[in-house]
Amino acid sequence: MASVLADKYCSKSLRGILMDGECGPGHEYNYQPLNNSFTVPPGIDPHHFVSPFMSDSSDCKIKFNHGTTTLAFKFQHGVIVAVDSRATAGSYIASQTVKKVIEINPYLLGTMAGGAADCAYWERQLSFECRIYELRNKERISVAAASKLLANMVSYYKGYGLSMGTMICGWDKKGPGIYYVDTDGNRFTNNIFSVGSGSTYAYGVIDSTYKWSMSIEEARELGKRAIYHATYRDSYSGGVVNLYHVQEDGWTKVSQTDVKSLHYQYEEEKNKEIINNEEL
Amino acid sequence: MEDYRAPVEVQWSPYSWNGGTVLAVSGEDFSVIASDTRLSEGFQIYSRDFPKTYQLGDNVVLGSCGFQGDVTTLNKVIEAQLKIYDHIYQKKMSCESLAQLLSTILYTRRFFPYYTYNILAGLDSKGKGCVFSFDPIGSYEREVYRAGGSASSMLQPLLDNQIGLLNQTGVEKKPLSVEKAVQLVTDVFTSAAERDIYTGDGIRINIISADGVDIKEVPLRRD
Amino acid sequence: MANPFEYNGSAVVGMIGSGCVAIAADRRLGIQGQTIATTFDKIYPMNESLYIGFYGLATDALTVSSRLKYQLNLYQLRENRQIKPKAFMHMTSNLLYSKRFGYYFVEPVIAGLDPVTKDPYIATMDLIGCPMETKDFVVVGTCSEQLYGMCESLWKPDLEPEDLFETISQALMNAVDRDALSGWGAIVHVIEKDKVTTRTLKARMD
Repeated sequence: MASVLADKYCSKSLRGILMDGECGPGHEYNYQPLNNSFTVPPGIDPHHFVSPFMSDSSDCKIKFNHGTTTLAFKFQHGVIVAVDSRATAGSYIASQTVKKVIEINPYLLGTMAGGAADCAYWERQLSFECRIYELRNKERISVAAASKLLANMVSYYKGYGLSMGTMICGWDKKGPGIYYVDTDGNRFTNNIFSVGSGSTYAYGVIDSTYKWSMSIEEARELGKRAIYHATYRDSYSGGVVNLYHVQEDGWTKVSQTDVKSLHYQYEEEKNKEIINNEEL
Repeated sequence: MEDYRAPVEVQWSPYSWNGGTVLAVSGEDFSVIASDTRLSEGFQIYSRDFPKTYQLGDNVVLGSCGFQGDVTTLNKVIEAQLKIYDHIYQKKMSCESLAQLLSTILYTRRFFPYYTYNILAGLDSKGKGCVFSFDPIGSYEREVYRAGGSASSMLQPLLDNQIGLLNQTGVEKKPLSVEKAVQLVTDVFTSAAERDIYTGDGIRINIISADGVDIKEVPLRRD
Repeated sequence: MANPFEYNGSAVVGMIGSGCVAIAADRRLGIQGQTIATTFDKIYPMNESLYIGFYGLATDALTVSSRLKYQLNLYQLRENRQIKPKAFMHMTSNLLYSKRFGYYFVEPVIAGLDPVTKDPYIATMDLIGCPMETKDFVVVGTCSEQLYGMCESLWKPDLEPEDLFETISQALMNAVDRDALSGWGAIVHVIEKDKVTTRTLKARMD
């Protein structure tokens, strides 16, 4: 029995009575479900059981980033990632300060749409896997490989009711990379993606002025503006715009702007334009 | 005799809802976490003296409400994990680590959730006041203040206004004092007890500082 | 269609002050999650010192408000005097109850001053016209819980018009900021015996 305990939770007191090397690395305290699996309701399809708690009409409201706007696009100077920060439970705004960009490691970002806990848990798991990859292969993981690890992890639970729509963004040997991964098993790459209930509005703004040859300033402004317009029309998006920029030497957090100040800033710019046009 | 009974679909419902409200506020070097003391189900009051805050360490307190059965089970799991950690490292777990642990514990029940709303308050490893709020399956976030449970939607906008100073222009942001925090907590619970039937009877206020946890009890309306 | 009360999104609140009343509403017209307009009026003036605001299905609110205005015009021509808020409340209640088995999906808030005594008056009712008159505040809307929490804490008796304006504005703005379906600006009417002050608020637009 002592050896079983030592195996799982190697403690200082047990360390004294163990032979050298019996308690190697990887036997540190690390909480994980017993027998490494998730508890499922007995005799019931897990998806069928848990779906009522995820729906808007349910009494037990699980914080569900159903409403969200996230976007990412590649351009000549890297990847722009911009997201809103609202979490809703039904029509109640549970939080206006959610961090929907998950910092996987200094070269990789993931975005959050769908179930907040699903995204946070699996992208944390992904960051662990990416570190293991680095140690084994003595080089950084590519965006393609990282996104595929995530896609494989979540597709194991297909049909269990997980909900996640994410963009894995980064920079590797091939240059800037964006992969869209979701819990249905989809995994694509492209220059522009937007995910969430406000994504259609964001696409509209991006498509209107997007060019591969944009300057850094133009690209950052476009990302911010696209999220702002989505928060204006989509009631399930809002809060602040979090803006990240991935370049060759990893990601940087560019800005965090309250959409209230953005709204009145854009409003003022519009009014100025109207005055100028009248003068003409 | 032929049996004409229609088939009955049986829905297994392992949960109930026992109400209760939890509220936490953090300051520079303290945090305050309070809950009401009513335990109820439907129109029945089971207990008028049942606080929903649980002290997990010298300066960390968990507020947990929802289905009391799951709250109790969850607490047992957390306490067991804390004991194991203590035996390995011969020290108490920091508030930030405890928050991550709680998130992982909640997520292990992703497909059969603990029907609980949790708020963790305490002092972080730098001695600053901290509040962590959780959804039932482990999504969490560090915040300055948070109301959870039955009357959360009544309390939260008021905290936004009075502590977050939202929609207030030209107001200087002063650091929150313990007295002001306790007064605010008392006031908002009094308001919630007026309108929410699952909140009432009393408030248990835990004031967490470097010296430990100080407990204050305030009566609420009992109808 | 889901719940008709949550289809367009709205929040209306009425408050009594010292010799004055205030009524305020948000300005969003939405179709579920999509915001259609941000300058939509939910409060309708019935006469100089009587206003009615609606929570619920916007199309029904327009119908009910114009039917009420029609009935009210006939009343005021027939009687040749201004209606009392209480009488108007009963008129509204009767109109809603006349559709007892096929109702309008609206809950009104009525706020006004008595034309003779100048006493402040507020009331609300459910969708089939069961009235509720109070001496402090009334709230309806997709964020009624949030509004109850705010009003219960901020309201106190005998507020002067300026303080009443501040109180009702803070109550409404902070409540709608925790509701996805209402907000996008707000309008406040403060009704005093000799004047009505109408102001729009600079709010979050998300």
